[in-house]
Amino acid sequence: MESCYVKTAMSGVAGFGLGGLFGMFMASMAYDTPYHTAGAAVSPISSMPWRQQLSTGFRDMGKRSYSTAKNFGKVGALFSGVECGIEGLRAKNDMGNGIAAGCFTGAILARNAGPQAAAVGCAGFAAFSAAIDAWMRMPKDED
Amino acid sequence: MSFFGLGRPQPTSAEKIAAVENELKMMADMHNRMTRVCSAKCVDKTYRESDLAKGEAVCLDRCSAKFFDVHAKIFDQIQKETTERMAAAGGGGGGGGGFGM
Repeated sequence: MESCYVKTAMSGVAGFGLGGLFGMFMASMAYDTPYHTAGAAVSPISSMPWRQQLSTGFRDMGKRSYSTAKNFGKVGALFSGVECGIEGLRAKNDMGNGIAAGCFTGAILARNAGPQAAAVGCAGFAAFSAAIDAWMRMPKDED
Repeated sequence: MSFFGLGRPQPTSAEKIAAVENELKMMADMHNRMTRVCSAKCVDKTYRESDLAKGEAVCLDRCSAKFFDVHAKIFDQIQKETTERMAAAGGGGGGGGGFGM
């Protein structure tokens, strides 16, 4: 029996890693817009010297991937912790744990945008969690 | 033949061994029942993975604790009723009045 704290920590770390990779990928696709350097006028990135382009690009990629990593890590840790807690309380292992945890996580993520947005977030995240759980619990085909 | 205490004969060593054997059999029987009942109730039958999930482990903890509790309570009740019945039988056989009504 793994403890809920261990599960939360592992999910947080995994989410952080995945979020970092995802952020790096997204950052590499965002260079078609003019790039603003601090204080200076708008200058497209292709007009800067080679080395500065590289350093600006890497710094931007690092910032984006770090922020995405933090977000994913928070979501992963929150979802995993809540699901483990609900499963421990109910003493049952079925899909209701994932759905309830998804609703809670979705509502928490959307809490700043008002109660309606929280309800929509709850429903959306719960549906997503239900879909993933259903796929993972499909009986394997016997070969 | 001398009697120590209040006159009840002490159990012989064969009786003591039989008593311990009985208790061992009772414990083994209780263990088997508990395993069967709690795993039927708590463990998912599809066996998707070999490790116990957290819900299943918590369920097994609670099931075995309750099983022990119930077993102990019923055992105490049986003991109480047996001693009452023996006392009533002993008192009734010796005197005439007694506890049995």
